[in-house]
Amino acid sequence: MSSVNTAPETPAVLSTGRAPMLSRRRHALLQNAPLLLAAIILFGTLALYVFLYHRELDKFPGAFDWTSLTNTALPLVFAAVAQTMVVLTRGIDLSVGGIIDVSNTLAAANMRPSVGSMVFWTCLILLIGALAGLLNGVLVAYARLPPILVTLATLAIFQGIAVRILESPGGHIPSTYTSTFTNTQRPSGLLLVGALVLLWWLFRRTRFGVGVFALGNDEHAALANGLPVRRLKMLVYVMSGVLSAAAGLLVASTTTGGDANAGNIYTLTSIAAVVVGGISFMGGRGSAIGAIFGAFALTLVTSVLFFAHIDRLYTSFYQGLFLIAAVVLGSLAGRLARGGNR
Amino acid sequence: MTAEAVGGRPWLHLNEDKRRIVFACAAAVAVFLVGGVLNHSFLSWPAIRANLVIASFVGLVAAGQMFVVLIGGIDLSVPWVINSAAIMLISTSLGKDDRAAYAVLATLGLGLVVGLVNGVGVAYVGVPAVVMTLGMNGVMEGLTLGRTKGLTCESCSSYAPPVLTRMFSNSTGTPAILFFWLIVAIAIAFVLSATTFGRRIYSVGNSPRASYLAGINVRRLTVVLYMLSGMFAALCGIALVSFGGQPNLGMGDPFLFQSIAAAVVGGVSILGGRGHYVGVAAGAIMLVVLVSVLQGQTWLKESDRSIVYGVTILGILLFYARSHKDA
Repeated sequence: MSSVNTAPETPAVLSTGRAPMLSRRRHALLQNAPLLLAAIILFGTLALYVFLYHRELDKFPGAFDWTSLTNTALPLVFAAVAQTMVVLTRGIDLSVGGIIDVSNTLAAANMRPSVGSMVFWTCLILLIGALAGLLNGVLVAYARLPPILVTLATLAIFQGIAVRILESPGGHIPSTYTSTFTNTQRPSGLLLVGALVLLWWLFRRTRFGVGVFALGNDEHAALANGLPVRRLKMLVYVMSGVLSAAAGLLVASTTTGGDANAGNIYTLTSIAAVVVGGISFMGGRGSAIGAIFGAFALTLVTSVLFFAHIDRLYTSFYQGLFLIAAVVLGSLAGRLARGGNR
Repeated sequence: MTAEAVGGRPWLHLNEDKRRIVFACAAAVAVFLVGGVLNHSFLSWPAIRANLVIASFVGLVAAGQMFVVLIGGIDLSVPWVINSAAIMLISTSLGKDDRAAYAVLATLGLGLVVGLVNGVGVAYVGVPAVVMTLGMNGVMEGLTLGRTKGLTCESCSSYAPPVLTRMFSNSTGTPAILFFWLIVAIAIAFVLSATTFGRRIYSVGNSPRASYLAGINVRRLTVVLYMLSGMFAALCGIALVSFGGQPNLGMGDPFLFQSIAAAVVGGVSILGGRGHYVGVAAGAIMLVVLVSVLQGQTWLKESDRSIVYGVTILGILLFYARSHKDA
């Protein structure tokens, strides 16, 4: 009954007998193909937006348009990066929207216009986001429950808590808070995106980041190499919780108030952004930069539909098509990059 | 492994899959009993019957969901397939009995077509199931809202044909929908346990590659299962609108969570290859009864119910939906 004898043999022969190694440049292209595609999708949507805007208003989008677009996209950018963290480990976090609800309502119900209050509540809310993520993480990593079920159940819990905090839409966000993070006059929000990119760059270079990618690629191999797989898994959900809470603060900041249902859409849109961003649902592949591109592209799609005079009722039809098309394009591009044969 | 073979307690002789089904049935009965303790009228036949009727809606969607989960897929397009099916039934039947058969066929066809698109996308184009069905949910939502102009179209205000509504009337004591659900359940159990089609589903769920090598047309089977899921979602839409009389927007939304949860609570592995409809049906009953027990507690606020619901589901999952240590 020793486990050594029952372990399946690795077909080492197969991996050495492969086709000749790809050239270095082609390898780099293959590795970054999804990210490249996400960038192409973003710029394609951007070009379409500028074209339709110009056709409609006979001028090019100005500073105000770019700022408002950035501010609208900002919560989704954070939610998408939150989702990315979890998807990289082959998981999924459906509670993103619930954590955003909690964070949004907490901020709107409690924040006062003094600096101390704003700093205190921002930190406290991020901490609460971390705790919410910790709950998900412990249940997934240590109680060994499927992520999709855990986060569906915690989504119901977090939504209930959000309604308890703020029963009907309302509350108030200090104007200094709004002008700091989502200023309507200048694109201060871009600083936050920059900070997120920097954080991702750092994350990729830490032991934690390497571990997350190793775990996503092959959990058994990661475990066999002595990685603390469970702790890594748990921490990924904590990160997702913190980033979702940040997204909730940004929802509060842009809407200058709280609504216990405002965050619900972000569960699905964050998954959509991750998909458009080229992050693999099989884990271990993808970049938060792609998810950020995806979040901006999805936000732009709404504006594109508006300027294309498409009935608002059909919005989700085109968003659904966009989502599927992005993935089909991705898999086609992947096949082409690999030289036609699967 | 060895403990099971040598185990003294007789119920340990059941394999793990069967044990999960037994647990699901026991949980359903337990929740009923808890409801009965909290409120005595809960165990009366009218109350049980009302719960079973609601459970039949969840049970029908969960049947389709189970088929795709069994091969490691998932169908997130359920909410708007249900909703569009309900509206389709109303706008094609216009509330007339003589058009009912045609309307039901057209509606089931709608579900099959959506399932076909999902299945082809997943099996032949290689789109991940989560993305494909999520996208299709958006597509169906947009089409439904756009075509009905937000449910303000003329034919949208009709009622369900009386012949369908009568399936829920209790003049005979037991509404026809419950017999219908029972027949569906027996048919699915038969297909899963006693046909080669059922064997193929489990085979593909356990290893698509080995099944392919064994000569199973994995892609075609995948398409068929997504079509079944679409059809069962449409069936749920028909049942819902016949029960409620008129469709409304968002009526399918609760069924996504409930169908997945019913499948998993009923012992279906989210990774595919394990589970049976007997457990899923028990899971559907358990969830529905749990919700109605919570709704009976008037001292709980709506928001608290959501919290208690989530905590209870987590508790049940902790009890028996944990994966193996090595996984």
